[in-house]
Amino acid sequence: MDGSRSVKFRGLLQALLRHEVDFLVVGGVAAQLEGAPIVTFDLDILYDNTPANLDRLLGVLRELKARYRDPAGRHIEPDSTKLQTLRTHLLLTELGALDLLSQIGAGRTYQDLVGRTILYELGEDHVRVLELAAVIESKEHANRDKDRAVLPVLRQTLILKTGITQDEGS
Amino acid sequence: MDTRPNSEATPSPPAESPDGVDLTLIRWTLSLTPLERLELLQDWVDGLAELRNGRLPER
Repeated sequence: MDGSRSVKFRGLLQALLRHEVDFLVVGGVAAQLEGAPIVTFDLDILYDNTPANLDRLLGVLRELKARYRDPAGRHIEPDSTKLQTLRTHLLLTELGALDLLSQIGAGRTYQDLVGRTILYELGEDHVRVLELAAVIESKEHANRDKDRAVLPVLRQTLILKTGITQDEGS
Repeated sequence: MDTRPNSEATPSPPAESPDGVDLTLIRWTLSLTPLERLELLQDWVDGLAELRNGRLPER
């Protein structure tokens, strides 16, 4: 892929769905789907770490010619061992940047968070999206500059959506 | 009977939060469907990529 080309969110989601990968949309795209007007340049997903799901995920990654975004420019491809053992995979694919996470926040997995998702209809497709309150919690835990920068918008969106503040809701 | 103009009877919601967040933009995105929100994000990202590459976005 030409590195200057932008990510194709729907194409990435459709590829994951076509291969029946169990995943949750998290991060900036989840926030945007929940109504928060923020910009992100990659799709973050939290994947289920079962062997069968990892096989399906690897099938998508091969189809999309995924490789790690390596600062040294080396060509390193994801494999089942890396998917099982590493927590974060920052990948470049034919459809743009795709970040795979086996845990987010304080070590929370797909199984921990699947109950805090909303099933969104995107045309013909249905994707599980982490609810905004949980996105906020994960960004508060990560506490990087880029997370802190968007938190005011996320919190105000949650207030307008629900009429309650995060503190009141917890 | 209340003869005040409607704008006085029902004040507009605030345009900005106390910490400076544009609430009008949030209300607008909340009015969209999830698919429209995803398409909006795609438009923003595509537009920024075009500008970064030195070209004007296609209209």
